Amino acid sequence: MAVASLPHGSSAGHDGVDQLYADTRALRLQGMLLFLVSDCILFSSFIFAYLYMRNSGQGWPPAGISRLDVAFASVNSVVLFGSGATMHYALENWKHNNFGRYALFMLATIVLGIGFLSGQAYEYTNLIFKEHVTWAGSGIFGASFFTLTGMHGFHVSVGVLYLIILFLQSVHGVYTKDKYFGLTAGTLYWHFVDVIWVVLFSIFYLI
Amino acid sequence: MHIDPAVLERTIAIIGGIIVAIVSAKALKDDWNTPGLDNQVFKLMLGLLFIGAIVAALAGANVLGNFPKAA
Repeated sequence: MAVASLPHGSSAGHDGVDQLYADTRALRLQGMLLFLVSDCILFSSFIFAYLYMRNSGQGWPPAGISRLDVAFASVNSVVLFGSGATMHYALENWKHNNFGRYALFMLATIVLGIGFLSGQAYEYTNLIFKEHVTWAGSGIFGASFFTLTGMHGFHVSVGVLYLIILFLQSVHGVYTKDKYFGLTAGTLYWHFVDVIWVVLFSIFYLI
Repeated sequence: MHIDPAVLERTIAIIGGIIVAIVSAKALKDDWNTPGLDNQVFKLMLGLLFIGAIVAALAGANVLGNFPKAA
């Protein structure tokens, strides 16, 4: 595979822009982490509400609703977790000045993210049209399942758009070998949606 | 030859889960000594990714989430 090198901007010198970047990088990182913590609190609130309602009912799933398809969800989970691994290697290759492999891993991450969303759409279609489980018409089960997985799916959709924008920016030379905080933030966000899915997959499909 | 879709899905989940677990464990090992706040968070995320991949593989193998059919 042909290996191209990264675009280099004015990173070598200590001009005003680079100094500004160095001064604000830690603040930007803290801002991104605080955003992820706030998102974590949002998901935690819904997860605890779901677990509370689930445990206060009589049996789970409620009568008339069958268990979710674990086999298909396992495959979809592996697709999302795989995208976390490819995203990690995309950033690593960027750090090591290997644009060709960065592009390959970044595109693989985007494709796997879209694959996960397609899998979720397929699962929603099956649930709604075959099992007749809906958000409003299936009690706590439908409401909590579609709210939490829908919220997560929305995050993944935003993440895919975010990664596409990051990729286009990196192609157009917005980031350099030394200045790539956007890619770091994108990787953090993508890992976050992966980790949230570990919890959602466990509580909806495995317990 | 007819292959049960569930068997195919479970096979993919097991193999994929093991591959992702190995890759994330290797990435975690490679990054273990990297300094910086962002790298500490990455390590935490990679650890959780490893656990998630193992959980998905175990679910594919019917070890987790194996519930009896409703009557």
